[in-house]
Amino acid sequence: MTSIDVRDLTKEYGGRRAVDRLTFSVRPGRVTGFLGPNGAGKSTTMRLVLGLDRPTSGTATIGGRPCAALDEPLREVGALLDTGAAHGSRTARDHLRVLAATHRIPGRRVDEVLEEAGLAAVSRNRVRTYSLGMRQRLGIAAALLGDPRVVLLDEPSNGLDPEGIVWIRELLRRLAREGRTVLVSSHLMNETASFADHLVVLGRGRLLADTPVREFVHARAEPRVRVRTPDGAALRDLLARHGYESVAEEGEGAGDRWTVRHARVDDIGRLASGAGVTVLELAAEERTLEQAYLDLTAAEAEFTAMSPSRAQEA
Amino acid sequence: MPFAPALHSEWLKIRTLPSLAAGPAAVVLVTAAFTALAGLDESAGADSDPLFASLFGVVLGQIAAVTFGAQAVSAEFRGGALRLSLSAVPHRGRWFAAKALAVGASALAAGLLAGCASLAVGWAVPGSRAGGPNWGEGLRGVVGCGVYMALMALFAAGLTALLRSGVMTLSILVPFLLVVSFVIGGVSGTAADYLPDKAGQVVLHSTSDGALGPWTGLAVTAVWAAAALAAGAWSVRRRDA
Repeated sequence: MTSIDVRDLTKEYGGRRAVDRLTFSVRPGRVTGFLGPNGAGKSTTMRLVLGLDRPTSGTATIGGRPCAALDEPLREVGALLDTGAAHGSRTARDHLRVLAATHRIPGRRVDEVLEEAGLAAVSRNRVRTYSLGMRQRLGIAAALLGDPRVVLLDEPSNGLDPEGIVWIRELLRRLAREGRTVLVSSHLMNETASFADHLVVLGRGRLLADTPVREFVHARAEPRVRVRTPDGAALRDLLARHGYESVAEEGEGAGDRWTVRHARVDDIGRLASGAGVTVLELAAEERTLEQAYLDLTAAEAEFTAMSPSRAQEA
Repeated sequence: MPFAPALHSEWLKIRTLPSLAAGPAAVVLVTAAFTALAGLDESAGADSDPLFASLFGVVLGQIAAVTFGAQAVSAEFRGGALRLSLSAVPHRGRWFAAKALAVGASALAAGLLAGCASLAVGWAVPGSRAGGPNWGEGLRGVVGCGVYMALMALFAAGLTALLRSGVMTLSILVPFLLVVSFVIGGVSGTAADYLPDKAGQVVLHSTSDGALGPWTGLAVTAVWAAAALAAGAWSVRRRDA
């Protein structure tokens, strides 16, 4: 099985650390979302993993070997890094043929990945006539060309239309099912939540989290319960007595709507029933990856603001 | 990973990009066309060298060769194309050697054709000097023209890899070839004889009055090209893609 292993990886540009003592592993058989704000070091890390940039210190290996030492790299690792990598004056098919020639990959395979990326009909058009979404599809087709065991995609959903988004989601799930190692960077939270099993979160080049998505969301996002009741005052007093903080919402229809923070449906339901408060609606508020992520990065921002040495660097 | 697939890929890159595929053709056309134009000009210097009169177009044809060499490499420095290339051929020395070989071979073929076309035009145009080059000189001129074009294209390719910009390379080389070398190249017997273009062009003349002969002149140009390629290879290997 082929994993990506990043150990103590550091990359400095001038005096600035783009990647700061990063250590994590990307395992096969699941989609790992690579999150972080712009400039957090996601793309730099991917370039380091691919051996395109030289690390200041530390190592990045694929299946235990540095990428530059692989005999047939396209069969081991496929990557989408730059959407502009295909020359505008070349046709999509020629772009892939050039790449395929380096590994003696037959033209049949080129047509296969073009078909898979939904570009078969336009494969003989020049890339400059392509929309951003089509260029992304071409970049993904290039990444899949060598049928690699490891796939790295940098912001693959950029510019894709809704069908494209669904397509990439299905594709990523399938690649993981096939036992491949899939690392996908994004700054779109809901998008990432829809395909990732595992998360690696960066902030300012440092590792903020390396956990399964479910755990990440549950650990970070504050659980809330929404209640609708005709007896708002009684509910508020009841909850306050038990240490819950409840906030009234603008109500329409019968009864008041309340949001209870840091609460679970089971607890609130039992409390209300025990005290005889009428409840018309009771629902857990869906916790999103976005909330969890923003909580995490807000905490990091606070930490950064408090730490004078980091503040000076910034 | 063997060298041949990398070379095949680089060859395909040239063939599938219209602006690059047109480069070698431009070398032939420009060279022949300017030889014809110069031949038609009756007032051209009477002290003209018979071989050089038939290969005069090389002076402008080399601009096409240099442009071709620069473009072939500069295409890699746009939009992250180099990253894609190196992710397929991570051995950077091998990648750059394949690129240089594809460029050099294309330019060599174009240069040989340009030499033949230019000689043919030189003979055909009525205004050409009486006598003209003999067969031996003509053959030497054709081979010299091919090698010279290849070396100039490689010189530009190496420089472009070092500067990471085709525009910068051309804005140095074109004025140099058209102006500087023309002005200071008029005097022979000086260090100017060892400039890459001046030295290499000795092979295009029936007689030479400088320190360099036809083949030693090309050797000097080859040293320039090798130095540029070595600098380019160093840059490709050492810097982040």
